[in-house]
Formats: sequence, C-alpha cells, structure tokens
Amino acid sequence: MTDDPLWYKDAIVYQLHVKSFADSDGDGMGDFRGLTTRLDYIRDLGVDTIWILPMYPSPFRDDGYDIADYTAIHPSYGTLDDFRAFLDAAHARGLKVITELVLNHTSDQHQWFKEARRSRDDPKRDWYVWSDTDEKYAGVRIIFVDTERSNWTWDPDSKQYYWHRFFSHQPDLNYDNPAVREEMWLAMKFWLDLGVDGFRVDAVPYLIEREGTSCENLPETHDVLKFLRRRLDEHCTGKMLLAEANQWPEDVRHYFGDGDEFHMAFHFPLMPRMFMALKLEDRKPLVDIVERTPAIPDTCQWGIFLRNHDELTLEMVSETERAYMYDEYAREPGARINVGIRRRLAPLLEGDRRRIELMNGLLMSMPGSPIIYYGDEIGMGDNIYLGDRNGVRTPMQWTGGWNAGFSSADPERLAQPLISNPLYGYQAVNVDSQRRFEHSLLNWTSRLIKVRRSSHVFSRGSTTFLHPANHRVLAFLRTLEAEQVLVVCNLSSTAQAVELDLRHLAGMLPIEMFGRSVFPRIGELPYMLTLGSYDFFWFRLRRL
Amino acid sequence: MFQMIADAINQAGVNFVDALVRLLPRMVTTITIIAVGWLIAIFLRGVVRITLGWFKVGPRVERVGLAASLKASGLPPAESLAGSIVFWLVWIGFLISGIDVLGFASLQGLVSEFAAFVPRLIVAIVIFVIGVVTANFVWRAALLAAVNSHAPSPRLLSGAAWWLILLVAGAMALEQIGVAQTIVMTAFAIAFGSLMLALAIAFGIGAGGVARRIVEHAFREPDRPDPDEVSHL
Amino acid sequence: MRVPETSVLSDDLVRDLMAVGQVDVLVGVPTLNNAGTVTSVVRAVSAAFDQYFPRDRTLLLNSDGGSTDGTPDLVRGIRHDAGTVTVSHRLRTEHRISAPYHGLPGKGSALRQILTVADLTQARAVAVLDADVTTVTPEWIAALVRPVRDQQYDYVAPIYARHPTDGLLISQIVRPLMRAAYGWEVREPLAVEFGCSTRFLTHCLGQDIWTSELARYGMDLWITGEALSAGFRSCQAPLGQRLAPSSPDRPGFPDVFAQVVGSVFGCLDVHAAYWLSRTGSDPLPVVGAEFAAPSEPPVVDAARLTQTLATDLRELQDVLKTILRPETLAALNEAVAGDRLDYTDALWVATVGEFLIAHHRGIMSRDHITRALVPLYLGRVRSFLSQYSAAAPADVDAALESLCLEFERMKPGVVAAWRETVKR
Repeated sequence: MTDDPLWYKDAIVYQLHVKSFADSDGDGMGDFRGLTTRLDYIRDLGVDTIWILPMYPSPFRDDGYDIADYTAIHPSYGTLDDFRAFLDAAHARGLKVITELVLNHTSDQHQWFKEARRSRDDPKRDWYVWSDTDEKYAGVRIIFVDTERSNWTWDPDSKQYYWHRFFSHQPDLNYDNPAVREEMWLAMKFWLDLGVDGFRVDAVPYLIEREGTSCENLPETHDVLKFLRRRLDEHCTGKMLLAEANQWPEDVRHYFGDGDEFHMAFHFPLMPRMFMALKLEDRKPLVDIVERTPAIPDTCQWGIFLRNHDELTLEMVSETERAYMYDEYAREPGARINVGIRRRLAPLLEGDRRRIELMNGLLMSMPGSPIIYYGDEIGMGDNIYLGDRNGVRTPMQWTGGWNAGFSSADPERLAQPLISNPLYGYQAVNVDSQRRFEHSLLNWTSRLIKVRRSSHVFSRGSTTFLHPANHRVLAFLRTLEAEQVLVVCNLSSTAQAVELDLRHLAGMLPIEMFGRSVFPRIGELPYMLTLGSYDFFWFRLRRL
Repeated sequence: MFQMIADAINQAGVNFVDALVRLLPRMVTTITIIAVGWLIAIFLRGVVRITLGWFKVGPRVERVGLAASLKASGLPPAESLAGSIVFWLVWIGFLISGIDVLGFASLQGLVSEFAAFVPRLIVAIVIFVIGVVTANFVWRAALLAAVNSHAPSPRLLSGAAWWLILLVAGAMALEQIGVAQTIVMTAFAIAFGSLMLALAIAFGIGAGGVARRIVEHAFREPDRPDPDEVSHL
Repeated sequence: MRVPETSVLSDDLVRDLMAVGQVDVLVGVPTLNNAGTVTSVVRAVSAAFDQYFPRDRTLLLNSDGGSTDGTPDLVRGIRHDAGTVTVSHRLRTEHRISAPYHGLPGKGSALRQILTVADLTQARAVAVLDADVTTVTPEWIAALVRPVRDQQYDYVAPIYARHPTDGLLISQIVRPLMRAAYGWEVREPLAVEFGCSTRFLTHCLGQDIWTSELARYGMDLWITGEALSAGFRSCQAPLGQRLAPSSPDRPGFPDVFAQVVGSVFGCLDVHAAYWLSRTGSDPLPVVGAEFAAPSEPPVVDAARLTQTLATDLRELQDVLKTILRPETLAALNEAVAGDRLDYTDALWVATVGEFLIAHHRGIMSRDHITRALVPLYLGRVRSFLSQYSAAAPADVDAALESLCLEFERMKPGVVAAWRETVKR
C-alpha cells in the first residue's frame, strides 16, 4: 500500500455495497466477513481502493444513508471487530478503504433527533433546523421530486417544521451550530483512528441554509468543510475526502478551495455526457464539458465514473439534453426516477460488449481517478421494478449456482432479489464463468486497468483535445512531463477514418499500448487512422 | 469558168459535208452529255430537296428568318431553291462540258474557267446566305432591344443594322466572285461610312436626351429607385 | 485542385463530407457575391438547427459560384452564439462547409452540388435558401424541413406573405400558366426556397437536365414542375415576407423577363408529356399557418408606367405577325387604339398561349420570342394596375383567380396547337 500522500490521484476505486456483495452468515444480506472473503477478487481486478456504502446502524429507509449512529456498524453487516478485520485484510492486500460520511442529515431514528424533538428546549434541539412555518427558504428546489412535496415536514411531537433536503425521514443537521461541527469531526476521527483511509462525503452542497438563496454551495458551507478538513489535516496525513457535489464544474471547483477543502470531488456533469456522446456519435458534449472544467489545485483530483449506486443523474444537463437522454436511454417510464435513470451500465448500453469496452476505455483515459461500480466489470443487469434505486444494488453475481454464490440463505430470504432473466441473470453473467475464458469482460477490464496503471500520465497528466474534422472520433493527448499518450476513440457504430493533425509530434512513434504494436511514424502530413465500430486506441508516443 | 465555179461549189459542199460529218459525232456526244447532264441534274435536285426535307431544314430556315426573306424576294422555299441551285450548277457544268466537246476554239477553256468559277460562286452564295441570316437575327435582336429599352426609332435602328450587314455580306459575296471589285469595295466603303456618320449624327443630335439618360442609367447609384419600377418578382 | 469535368464534388469537398458523415437535415445556400446578406441567412440556419432540430445531424452547405467579395470566408467564420450551457446546449457538432461549385455558371450547378451532397450524406430532408433574402428566420427552415422529415412530403414549395399586386410577373404569367399546365394551384412556382426529400432529390439527380440551358436560370421552376409532373407528394409552406435588396449588378428587366418566361416555356417543353393530358387544377396542401399579407400594396404609380404599348406594337408588328395569330394581333392593335388601354384577361391569355406555341415551335430565336413579349407584358401590367392598384386585396385576389381560370379555359386550344406542332 502506498505511502504517497497524494495516492488518491492515482487511485482506481471499486465502489461496493456491503449489503449486496457477499453474505457470510446466510441471513440473505451481505456483511463484512463475506466482503473480507472477496478481497482477493477485488485486488486481482487491479483496483487499489474500495469505497463502501454506508454501513452504519440505520432503519434502512434510504438504504443506509439515513444514519442512526455514526460510530457503530449495522448489526446486519457484522460487528466493529468484523469491520476492523476487513480493514486490516484490505490494507494487507494493498487496498485502501474509504467509507461514507453523511454530513447533511441523519435518520429521524438517530438519538440526536429523538432528543431534539422531545421539546423546543432540549439541548439537541438546535442540532437540527426548525421553523414555525414551512415558508422559510421558499423556492429551494426539491431533490427527491418523486417522493417529496416539500423540504419541510411537520413534527407533531414538537409542533414545528423541520428542514430536510432529502427524504422526510432524514432531517438536516444544523451546521450553524458549532456543536454539530465538532460532533461530526469526532465521528470522522473515530473511523480515521480505526484506519479508514478517507471518506466519500455525501450531499455536501446543502449543509447551510440562508434565506433568499438556493441553500446550495453557500460560502458558509465551505467554511464548515474547511473546518473539517483542518481538523483532519491536524490529526493525520495521507487521508482523503471525496465530495459528492452534483453541480456544474465551476461550482464544484469551490469545493477544492485552495487545496484546503476536499481532496477529490466527483465530476458529475461529465458522466451523462459520455453516454450522450456515445448515442449522438458526436464528441461535442464530452469535449465541451471537459474544456469547460476549470483547473484544480495540484493536490486535488476529480473522481470520474460511469455508474454508481444512485440514478444516472441528469441534473447537470440542459432540458434539451435531459429530454434526449430520457428518450434514448430510458424509454421505459419505470427506468426514470427523480431526475435521472436507474439503470446499470450494461443495460444502458444494451449489453453491447463493444460499447461497454469503449465506455470503460473512456473512463480509464479521461482526466481523473476512475471509480468502478461493483458488478459493472462483469456486465451485471438491473431491476427497475424494485423501487427507489434498489434495482442497481442487487446481489453480486459470483457463480451460476445457488443464489449466485452470494448467500447460502433461502432465495426468498435475500434482502434483495437476484437478477435472473436469461440476458443478465446470474446464470449467464457471473464471476466464475468469466474467469474461465480469457476474453471475458472481467478479464478484459483487468487488462484495461493494468494498462492504465502502467503510466501515471492517465492519472496526473494534462489533457489536450484534438479537433479532427470527423466529429465521431474523439482524440486527445495526455501529457505528463516527457510522457505522452494519444487516445483515439470511435464513438460511432460504423467504421470511421480520421486524419489527425500531429505535426507538432512529428518524428514520434505511436506504440499501441494493449498489444505493443508499432504504428507508422508521425510525419508532417495528417496522420490517418481507421477505427472499427466503437474502437479505441491508446498510443504511447515515443521518440525512437 | 462555170466549171471552176461548179468545182468550187462542189469542193465547198464536200468540205461542208466533211466538216459536218466530222462534227456530227461530236454533236451527238454533246447532245448526249447535255441530256444525261439534265437527267443527273434533275436527279440531284430531287435528292437535295428530299435530303433537306429529311433534315427538317425548312423549319430551321424559317427560324433564322431566311424563309421570310426568300418569300419577300419572290424566291421559292429553301429546299426548292437549294435543289434548283444544284440543278443549274450541275446542268450548266454538263452544258459546258458538252460544248467543249464540239471543239470550238472560242469556247475552249470554258470548262476549266467554269470549274474554277463554281466554287467561288458557291462561297459567295454561302456568304450572302449567312449575311442574310445574320442580318435578320441582328435586325430582330436590335429591334427588340431598342423597343424594350425605350430607345427612339427602333425600326430605324434595327433596319439600319439589317442594311449594314446585308451591305457587308453583299460586298463580300461580290468580291468573292470578282464582279467589279474596285467599284464594289469603294461603293461599300462610302455607303458604310456615310451610314455610320449619319447614324452618329442622328443619335447625338436628335436623341441627345436619350443618350444622356442611357449613360445616366448605366452609372446611376443603385439605391435611387427607378420611378417606373414595378414589383415583378 | 483540378476537377475532372464529370465530377460534381471536388476532392476537398469530399474530404469535408467524409468528416461530416451521415446527415439528417441539410440546408443548402447557393451564393455569388452575397457578402451583404449571407450573414443573417447563416445565423438563421444555425438558430434553426438549435431550436428546431437539436437532435438531428445537420449540415449547412454553401455552394459558391466564385464570389470575389469574401462570401465563403464570411460563411465559414460566422460564430455560433453558444450562450451558457444551462440555457441552450447544442447537442451535436455544427457542420458548415463552403465549397465552390463547378460546371455551367448559374444556380443549376449550385443546386446540383447541393443535391449531390445531400444524396451522398443520405440527408433525410433538404432545404435550399437564397442568400439574398434579408427576412429569413429560423422558422423558414423549420417550415421547409418539417413536412419532409415528419410528414413524408417529397417537395415543399414556399408561400410568401405578399400583397396581391406584388410579384406581377408571377401572378400574370408564371403562376396561372403553371397552374393551368400542371393542374396544381401552386402559389409560388418560382420557388427560390424549397424543401425536398431524399427520394425526390435522387430522382432529380438522375434527370438529364443539369447541363441544359434550363439549368442556368430555370432550375427553380424545373424543380417545381418535376415534383408535380413526376407525381411526388408535394405541399406548400408559408414562410413570411420575402425581402431581397436589389443588387447594382442585377440584370435589366428585359433580361430577367427573358430568363423567367423562357424558363417557364422551357419547363413546359420538358414536361409536355405530363401536362398535355392533365385537365383542371387541384389545390396543393398547405402545411402551417398562413401569414397575414401586407395590407399596403407595393408603391407604384400606374399612371407613370411608361405608356409605350401602342408605339411598341407598331414597331414590333413584323415580329408579332410571325408569332401571334392574325385575330389576336388585330385585337391587340384594337385594344391599344382606344383612349384607355384595356388588355383583357382573354386577350392576355391568348397572347401568352400563342407565344408559348411559337416558343415551342422555335419559329425564330427563342430568346427573341420571350423578349418580344416584354412590351406586351408591361402593357398588360399597366392595364391591370389601372384597375386594381387601389382595390382591396380580396378583389385583387378574385381578379387573379379569374385570370387563372381563363388560362385553364385556354388550355385545350394550346394543347391542340402543341400536338399539331408535334405532328408536323
């Protein structure tokens, strides 16, 4: 495991849900012991960081994001000792572990809220945001539009409204209260001292509310975050904070501060545009958003991803783009939720291996640290009928046998049903069978990660887009000091020819990175390449 | 004495008969040549007429205005005229060949002269025909242009153009067949020059206003509306 | 780049098109020294692509005839107004190509290049615009393209919002003659702007018209005629008012007249097999809401129209004798003899019909035939305006409809004379 304090800049992250990964005790729900038994698999994939979804005690009304105790493990997942054992085993395999930190809100079952609602005079009362009317902060958008009608909910016990940007059972904490800040720091410290390598911080833009604003991205919110970062830096080194801020790149930029806020932040607007570019067969949306992305401090890094546990969010796109994405990727109304699409990678790409490879190739070559969502490396399917976003959180498919090798429980007891249709079902799509043949998606993904790792240029290099006349071809240079990699991708379903202006690289030899084949030397004339359907090249450019 | 006279008369008669006897075969040959030539000429006339009819020369001739000119001149239609020209050229050729056979000294060389003359005659005819066609075309074009641009005296202008071209064509044709070349060229030069001078004077003095308007129109500023302009398109 | 004579597309253009690939909507803009007006046209097209066809693969093709005023550079250089991502986000790369066309000078070669490119790029819908017009809006492009793309029409002719006394050459000759001949009530047969489908453009490209004389000036009319005569599903789309500034280089009216009327007559020659047997006329569907016509007629002083018909007739008697029938010429002479010129519908229709037959027979140079009609047309215009320049638009419309019906009544006679020519 690396000691580099900037390890996260080179990280390849594997996001998983403990509940759905591996069940060791046959209760139908995944746990840490089960997860520990699968660490070799994760290591062999080639990733170096694991991000686990919330594992705290919770009534599970938001799949664990409604936290009832910040410093314990949910009994269904095991004990604190189980967690420690998992952490140690992960570290022993060179895998870092980051967990969730849900700053913005708690479950209404959290002891703090229970106390707070006892009376208006309770010491914990001010830990949450209360109001006599529901007219405060009028005009602030509702995030879970499918289920919530208002950001205020009436508490019949204490006869006041409480503020919640998410579900009504997730009251927002009041970060204007220093005690709250301090308490959250203590929660962080608890896990850091156990050995956790960082946190993915949920819902950061919404910490502070002010009248007459959107209650998002306020300067005071950044003050809170800088406070937590300061405490972190004072306490330890080599840890990482990853912001979940679903905002435009120029707004997310603020969450890096001057290197004194978050180490990483998700690049949300990039993700839908990768899917858009593929469907449009036009690089424009992708190039536009990356060129629009502002520079970030040298110690910071973007987190890029194709899919995650949430819906494929379409908040950071225009109405035209949103309508297009719905029409092209979510023709079934059931696939749409909130402002997004609740489908996994493979079903979104219609199980097309070439497109899946291309998208992964993009993920691994675009600027940022890539995050792979568990199951996407084997092309798992989804179940849009499961409600909320549970359809993309089904059990990992290890084998074609009993419960896909996920659990020994009765299938009816599983916390989440398995995907069992002939196309994506566990009998057809599982780790075991993909391990057996060399050219499976699993093995291909492993090789892709290996090639990505072979050079820091992907993780730390600059990005310069080429603009060939053929808009169906995306071409860009990644440069890190003397090292240069040329990435060329055919976004189209048909074969394409492209002429690249590489005069400034005249004399260099492109060496294709997967097979090490040598391509013709770059000269003064436009460099002609032909690509098959959804094909892509990574060329290391060498002067030989 | 009477015997001498009788002898002379007898000798003259013998000579005459001799000459006649010598001439007779040649006369027969001549007549034969002329008759055959006449038949060939008729045949060729027919061929020409049919061929020209087959290529629809008539409507084309009508189109270039030549038909009207022929009619106005009291000439037959183009196919007939062409056939007739061919007939006469061929038959005259045979006529002269036949006469040449008779061996009359004064008529010797007539054939070769005729043979030398015919091509020039044909060229002259062609030049003149082209001239007529061109004159008709230019006449009509000038007339229409003058009418449409409201120039004064369109018929005068177009007529002048017609005569000019015809004069040129006529002079060229006559020069081609070598008829009074010097007189023709001089007369043409005088006529042409006078006509041009007259036209220039007439236009400059009589139609000075028009001349000025035409020049103004050519150089007018584009955004000043033409008062007569109607929205046509 | 030397282009073989048979190539419509130069190597440079082909290279550009390779990069563009397949296209859904193609807008063609022929130009020749239109630097003063082309910018607004290109911006309107760009805005139309944004507003009405955001998901379509689009291409703006400028087919240039050798402009010397920098028109192609202007076209290439016009920046798309990006705005902010949150307000308006163009999904696709904007493609804009400016390429010179080769072949006979004139709109025919430009159109041929545009249609060939449309065919090569498999464009689903094509619209052609005039670079001279200052009133083009994005809605024009939508109006021309949508009926093709969404309702499977093959040809869309424009309807301009104009006062009935505007465009007299169209209303006095082109429209009624084309209507009577082709049997469709097309308001603007001389469709400088139009829309069409791949099916139709492929058909047009296969016709042997592109190197003919008609290709120089008459392609707009030929395309309308071809759509109607070949049975392509056609409609009309209201566009709005059409204003094009007059250029100092524009040819004089007799030249314009000869081009337009010569083209109409030429089209009727080409499509004779169709219209000779067509009877009556049917309305052509209109797709879209009509614009209100300007209530003010174009400013014209009918009395000041040059009163030269009598003189012109006198001058042209020899020519007219060859073209018109004796009774028509006599009627014409009689009409001008009076104090007030009354060039009736019947007489006018007879005039046009006999000129058409003369043109078809080629009794003299065809250019001369059409130019001989100019003074008669101007006389007719004066006569018409003296009656209707101050009339209500509805009355003018009724008069023009009556004229169209008169043309239709004349048709059997024209057909008979035409067929007699063929027999000869």
